[in-house]
Formats: sequence, structure tokens, C-alpha cells
Amino acid sequence: MNKVIEKTTIIGKRVTKLDAPDKATARTRYINDLVLPRMLYAKILRTDRVHAKILSIDTSGARALAGVHAVITASDAPDGKIGVLRDNPPLKGDKVRCIRDEIAAVAADTEEICDAALRLIKVEYEDLPTVFDCTEALSEGAPIIDEDRPDNIAMQQYFEHGDIGSAEDDSDFVVEGEYNVHYVTHCNMGVSCSLADYDMDGRVTIYTQTQYPFNVKMDIAPSLGAHPGDVRIIQPPIGGAFGSKLDVYPYEPICAILAKKTRRPVKLIFSREEEFVASPTRQPVEFNIRAGMKKDGTLTFRDVDCLLNNGGYTSWGATTPYVSMRTVTSHYTVPNVRYRARAVYTNNPFAGSFRGYGNVQATWAIETHMDRMAEVAGLDPIAFRIKNANYPGEITPQAANLGRVDHVGCILQAADKSDFLDKWHDCKARQAENTRYKRGIGIATSLHNAGGAKIHKSDGCGTMLKMDDYARVTVITGASEIGQGSDTVIAQFVAEELGVPMRDITIINNDSATSPWDVGVHASRTTYIAGNSAKRVARKARERILRAAASYSNVMMENLDLRAGYVVQADDGVVIMPLDKILRQMHFAGEDAELVMETDYYEPPSEPEDENHVGDMSAAYSHAAHVAEIVVDTKLGTIKVEKVWSAQDVGRVVNLTGLEGQIEGGIAFGLGYALSEDLKIVEGKVANPSFRDYHVMTAPQIPEFDLTFLETDDGEGPAGAKGIAELPTIVIAPAIGNALYNATGIRIHHPPMTPEKVARAIAESNAAQDNAKGRTDERG
Amino acid sequence: MLPQNRFPPVITEYVNATSLEMALEALADGNGTPLAGGSDLWAQKDNGDGRIGSRLVNLNRIDELRGISVNNGFVRIGALTSISEILENQELAGSVALLPKVADRFASDQIRNVATVGGNIANASPAADFVLPLVALDSEVEICSNGRDPRKQALSEFFTGPGKTILGADELITAVIFKIPQKNFHGVFCKTGPRPALEISLVAMCLTGELHNGILDNSRLVFGAVGPTVICCTNTESLINGSQIDDELVAGALDMMAGEISPITDVRASKWYRTHIARTFLEQELIVCRSK
Repeated sequence: MNKVIEKTTIIGKRVTKLDAPDKATARTRYINDLVLPRMLYAKILRTDRVHAKILSIDTSGARALAGVHAVITASDAPDGKIGVLRDNPPLKGDKVRCIRDEIAAVAADTEEICDAALRLIKVEYEDLPTVFDCTEALSEGAPIIDEDRPDNIAMQQYFEHGDIGSAEDDSDFVVEGEYNVHYVTHCNMGVSCSLADYDMDGRVTIYTQTQYPFNVKMDIAPSLGAHPGDVRIIQPPIGGAFGSKLDVYPYEPICAILAKKTRRPVKLIFSREEEFVASPTRQPVEFNIRAGMKKDGTLTFRDVDCLLNNGGYTSWGATTPYVSMRTVTSHYTVPNVRYRARAVYTNNPFAGSFRGYGNVQATWAIETHMDRMAEVAGLDPIAFRIKNANYPGEITPQAANLGRVDHVGCILQAADKSDFLDKWHDCKARQAENTRYKRGIGIATSLHNAGGAKIHKSDGCGTMLKMDDYARVTVITGASEIGQGSDTVIAQFVAEELGVPMRDITIINNDSATSPWDVGVHASRTTYIAGNSAKRVARKARERILRAAASYSNVMMENLDLRAGYVVQADDGVVIMPLDKILRQMHFAGEDAELVMETDYYEPPSEPEDENHVGDMSAAYSHAAHVAEIVVDTKLGTIKVEKVWSAQDVGRVVNLTGLEGQIEGGIAFGLGYALSEDLKIVEGKVANPSFRDYHVMTAPQIPEFDLTFLETDDGEGPAGAKGIAELPTIVIAPAIGNALYNATGIRIHHPPMTPEKVARAIAESNAAQDNAKGRTDERG
Repeated sequence: MLPQNRFPPVITEYVNATSLEMALEALADGNGTPLAGGSDLWAQKDNGDGRIGSRLVNLNRIDELRGISVNNGFVRIGALTSISEILENQELAGSVALLPKVADRFASDQIRNVATVGGNIANASPAADFVLPLVALDSEVEICSNGRDPRKQALSEFFTGPGKTILGADELITAVIFKIPQKNFHGVFCKTGPRPALEISLVAMCLTGELHNGILDNSRLVFGAVGPTVICCTNTESLINGSQIDDELVAGALDMMAGEISPITDVRASKWYRTHIARTFLEQELIVCRSK
């Protein structure tokens, strides 16, 4: 047998996502499809007030309705609250603080009976004074939202490094700016849904769409009066999460409480309108920035104060300023920095986690401000950014070691490929021309964690791997697949180590009772951390197999390799035996019998920030630069994004198809943020809770893409890879804002840059110019 | 989820009508809700819209309500004709190309496949795109009911307010009829919204007339989404008719039109922006006429 198998690699290749065929052919069984025997349906009665005392709740009519099995209010629920500050009772008993607040819930035979029962519940309120604006909420005598926090400050952060005062004295220019960013929401195609089922011993299984199944146990337990160990989380395929499933929300314990009360499985599913009103938003933030520089454009200091509209309760979203902080202190080299953030309670809907996690907002502010500073310094946008760019090995004011980054490379690649400077000068020169359609080009960059984020005591992930007698591999990972493609890259790392085809690998990842612990899918961490764990566990299996093969074949273990389902000689690729054969020999070896079963827990070499926000909390960091070329209709104000050039430091490409999908999808998300998505909150109420009036991007609006991947080959990342998922959403909006300025001389500080906002700004600018001209003419 | 005081109407009866007669009978007591494409009805159902009666009357199996026919210089479009059928109809593409053009800007492929001409009219949205060219073509609506004789009504007088028409609760639109326009007919449709597809018009405009040597005659200027119903700017039409379209005329027409429309500020756009769009559209299209 002289068959020879060459060494190949699957890393960096185009691999079809493992979940794609089933999703494309409607075979995927989402949680919405799940039905258990004897299952009941549940619905929630929500308040239509934004701040009111609850005087009474009369559920007698609903209880009497045929087909209703349980009606619950706060008095039926354990005392435990949810939320990062434990400020949110799943059912509200004393007062409501924002629209959406849960008053009662019904479990019944059908959803229609639930609707009919909700109509029979009578609630009496006494309205309380309301507050919707952060500054007003902080002022003396403002209505108090949370009695435990009478100053209305839910959370605050402060960081200072260097000497702002003397840096300002040494600055030749100081530029100030206000940037207010708006409410948007995730718009998951799969609406929120939970299914709970108690056993006779009081243990509960909750099927839910969470992004962090292991922490859910801990977070939800108090609200169920349960021990976290008695909560099992099963995570069916998810129709989109994007950060929205990084908290426990009231509907999850409500569903479980109803299941406990009825002793039957209970399923609770949102309507689309409910999804708009009662799922989290991105935090709106008011940024106040002062930043200084020398005459040559070298940054001297950055001083940022921001207010976040927290809404009525505190979710993990209130921790987004930790991420904004790194953008403020560390994006570009700034020697002196000060940052202050306060998340303020109001009677608005409460905000949560969202892809980009604070960095979307901060990068909008910082990159718009940087563009303005470049102009003050008399430098073009590229030269100014390169002068201040981060450099490899830079230690930031917060003591993050940026390691192998290539900020300058990202800027130069995006600028060169887009012919940025020629176009930028040309468009600027044409601003004054009397044409309706104007062209512009803009750039923005950002910095994000790319090796996890140690915000918990551990940022690790566990993996278990087993192989059967047919060389089929089962990988049980703690990582959560939420559509981002983690199962596929995990399988790639395993395939690479074990020399097996992708189709022979099964990934199991969806049950807290089966899978080892993982901190959850967030912070662009899964490829890096779960990937490393998968790679390590596969390497252990590989070594066990090669050790056995060496003893059977009398070839040194070091000269053996696994390729395409065979054990081969590493130097010349000559086949020694099929992989399944060695596995069976190991299995049926009498007293020496062994099965290939391995475990690994990977903890990245990062550290939590200390109380002063100092610490290297990610194992890797990376940058992306986006250039956007747009055409503005100066009459109607519409912005057509024609092409986007993205240059991103990805460490190493793992799945080229998945990477392109994540970057293009992330940019589409960011385009919505930049141009059209705007959850309108009027006096605390959502004014546009439908896809008719909340404008997500549609296919014709997606620009042409030119994607460049910079491979910095991170030393710690699996095969050199870094996390990539959030940067695309973070960077694009300010690139478009800067392009709008290049095209028209109009700068919008408050996204989205809707046609009306742009048209009005242009009309006002034209009117001001006409007035000025008129005055000049009179004088002349 | 709905706020406490808004719950979906309860539909207790379903009639699957197989003939016009059967449908009219089911509507006769005024408690019926006709179901054509359902693209608006379904959204209204979830909004707790009070106009929905307890008996749902499915019209989709009534073939006699479907189809486009041309006779003696008149076009008759059955009420159940989908917007997609308008888009693909060869006869219309030749004789009234404006209609397929409007159909192409209407909602999205999926909605065009189910949404009907009759439904777009009966729903009486001030932003109904397809109503604009039909009004500009001086269309008549054919209305039937159980017991009474069929009647015809000028489409321009059909609407009385947002969601309101002269149609009785027992009546059904069966067709819309208009005369095939002259050879030198010029017709344009403009709409805008935050995205190119799947969009309710912030403002839509239809301008038609007989165009000859840069002069527009017998013009119709109809706007959508700038008033409680579609707005016919008859004074502006008179100003434009037969006049040389120079800068002065354009300026005058814009100001006169701005006085004829009555846009409001709502969640989609402000009054200022709607007026701004309307002016932009009219100016742009008058300049196009000038050069033809």
C-alpha cells in the first residue's frame, strides 16, 4: 500500500456554515417550532403607563375563563429580581417604571384564550411624575425611578490618566463637540420565546434563546426561588441574537413560574409588536468631548463625559461604558485621558446589550471628532489618523497591551484600495458646484477587543471530544452558536488537528446539563476562546491516537500525521492505516483498551480590570478601517452608499466564507444605525413598533464591498485568529458621516442620517449662506 | 402583545365566497370584512382596527373579479387584479405604461403578488400609491351590492378621509375603469421614503397630461401622503395647462401647489419635509416636460 496523502489545511478556506443547508431549506427547528406534550401557551399583560403606582389588579374575570390554567401577578412570584443590579422584578407589584412593564401573565390552552383572558384583567393606577431626559433625571427634585438609587444614577464609571490640565495648556488647538446617539433595537427575525418545564422534584428545564446559558442559571434562579443547580438551560437554534440575549428578561422567569404553577410545560412567544416594545435597545448616549493637539496634529489629551439613558431598569447594557471607555482612552495614542460615564434611570424603555457593545456609540463620537480635528490641524483624514495611530505593543492608559495590531496597515489598505485621497480632494473641491447629486468619501477606524473580555472571574470555555469506532468525532463545546458560525470554525480546528472531513464532525453545544461551562457568546470571543479550547482538546485526541499508532506501526510518533481519515508518515505522506482502524484497535485491545475521550478548559491569558479600570482584559486587540463612498441627493437628502472598503485585522482567516458574511452582515447592521434605524421614543412610548415604520436595511441598499483581511497572526489565538464579529458594525457609521461632510460640508452629529435630517441641514445651510450673501450684497 | 385597551377584533365567521353574488350576500348586513390580498387587512387586524367586522369574507375564489380587459378605448381592471399582474400586463405596457411603472415602485415583490387594485383603493390610505395614476387617468370605480343596482363613481370623489370612503358597509368595489389616454400622453410617478423598496410613500406624486413642444395640456397633478386623501391640485393644473414652462411658471406652480396640499407631521416625516419633497418632485418633473 503506497497511497500518499499530501498535507493540506482547511484553515483559511471557504467552508459552508454547518447550519446553512438546514436553515436555507427550512429544516431547522427553532424554539418557535418546539412543542411538548401537554404544553400550554402564555401571554403577558403589559402596562400602557410609563410611571405609575399600581393600586389594584383584578384577575378574577381571567381566572374564571374556560381554558385558562393560571393567572399570575407579583404576589404569585418569588421576591428575587433580575437584572445586573437586581432591580427588576419579573412581575411588577407596586409600581411601573416604563412602558412594557409586566403586570400579570396567563397560561391557557391556546394563545387566543390567553388574549381573551388578558382583556378581562383590570388594573388601577395612580400616575406618577415622569422623566425621560438624562439631564433632567439628574437634576434636583427629579422623579425617583428606583427607590434604592434616589440620585437616578444606575451605574457610573470614572477613569483618569496623565494630567489633563497641563496637557490642555500645552495644546495648540482644543476641539469640542457634542454627539448624541439614538435608540435602535436588534430586530431579530426570531421573536423572543421561552418554554419551561418543571419535573416532580422541582428542577426546571428552560428552553430559551440565551447567549449565555451557564450564567442564565445564576441570573434567573433568584427570581424562581430556585437553586441555580436546579435550572437546566437548553438553547435551541436561535433566529438572531446580536447581544439581545445576554440578559435574563422578565418573560423567562414568568414562563417558568407559570410552568411551576400549572405543572405543565408552558411556552411564551412574543408578537412582533411586543418584540419592538419589550426587547432591549442600544443605549442612547450623549457624549461631550474635548480633545487637544499640537500644531502638527499630535493628540495631547481627550476628555469625555457621557450620559446613557438607562431606562427604567438596569440590564447588562449599563456596563457598555466599560467598552466605550477603552475607545476613549485607547483608540489612537492619547497620552492624557479623562472619562466619565453615568447610566441614568428614566421612564424610557430599558436598554440592553447590542453587537458592538458601547463601541458603536463611542466610535461614532470619536471618529466624527477626529475628522473635525484633522480639518482644524490642516491635515487630510488619512495623514491625521496615521500620525496618531496605535502601534504594535502599545500599552494603553488602561494598561492594555495591544500586542500584534496593525492600525496603520488597516488605514493604508483601505485608503489605497479606495483611491481615497484623490477622491477626497476632488469631492471637496466640487462641494460648491450647483449640482443636485454630490459625491463624497469618508474614513473611520476603530479598536476592539479580539481575544475575549474578562468581565467575569473567568473568560474561559470548556470542550469535550469523543471519537467512535468509525472515526466520527463528537465535540461538546460550551460555546453558543447563535448563527455567527462558531460551530463551523470549531469543527475546522478539530478537522485540522485530527485530519478528518468536516462532515464527520458533530458539534453539540446547546444544553447546560451536557456541555462544559463557557461565559457566553459576546465580546467577539468565541472563535478565539472556544476555538482555542477545541484546538487543544483535538490535539490531546490526536496525540493519544498517534501514540497508539506509533506502537502498532513501529514508526516514531513524531513522524506520524493524521490526514484525510488516515494515519500517514508525516515526512512523505505514505498511508499507514485508516483512522477508524486504529480507533477500533485501541477500543478492542483487551486490558489495554482505550476510547478517545478528551476534555479541555481554556482560560485566556487576560486579566480583569481593577477598580480603577486598569488591566489587560482581552488576550488580543484589533482594528478595522472602513472607507465609504456615497452619493447624496441634496434635494431629498437621501444617501446612497455606493461602495465600502473594509480593511480589518483578523489575526488569521479561519473560514473565509463565514468571515465575509460576518463583515458584510455587520456593515449592513451598521448602515441601518447610520442611515435609517431609529426607535422613536415619545414620552416613554415606542412610536414605531413595526417594520413598516422602523427601517432596517433592505437588499437594494447594500453597497458593493471590497474586503481586505490583514493577518497579524496573533500568537495566542487559534491558528493565529482574532475575534472579528463586532468591528464591522462599529466602524461604518462615522465613515458615512465623514463622507457626507466631504460631499456637502454638512456634519450630522446625531445619527441616523435620515433623508429628512440631511435635507433639512442642507436647506438650513443654504438659507444661512443666502442670508450671508444677502447681507454682503447690501453692504457691497 | 397589545396595550390594554387595544385587542385584535374577534372574527367569528368565515365565508369563502365562490361568486360575486355570494360575497355580496355575505356583506349585505354590514358586518362583513372583505378579504382580498390581505396585506393591509392583516396589519390592521393586529392593530385592533375598529373597521374590521366579525365576518371575514374571502374574495379570492371569485374569478370574475380578476383580470384586465380593453374594450372600445376603455380599460377595465377587475378589483381582485394583483399589482404584479399590472406590472406584467403587456396590453398596459403598450397603452398605459404609467401603470406598470407605478406597480414597479409599489411595496415589494411579495406584497405586489397579493395586494390588489381594489384593496389599494378600498383601504383609502392617503399614501396609496396605485390610487394616484388611477385618479390622474380620471378613473371610475364600479361598485356592487346585494339588492341595489351597480353604480359608478369618479375615483377622485371616492375618498372622504384617511381610511374613509363613500363605500357602504354592504358594498364592494368590483372594477376600476378608465379611458386609454392620447398618443402624446405624458405621465410620471415619483415617490420617496427612507428606502427604495418596501416603503410607504412619505410623498408620492403623479403628473400627467398631453405634452407637446414642451407645453403640458389637460394636466393632472395628484399627490399622495400630503393630506387626508389623495390631493388633486386643480389650481396648479390650470396654471400649467397650455403655458410655456419657464422659471417663472415653475416658481408659481410650486407656490400654488404648496397651497393646495396639506401635509402633516407624523412619525414618518415632518410637514416641512413633505412640502420640501413635493416641491422637489414638481420642479424636477416640470423641468423634464420643458425639455420634451
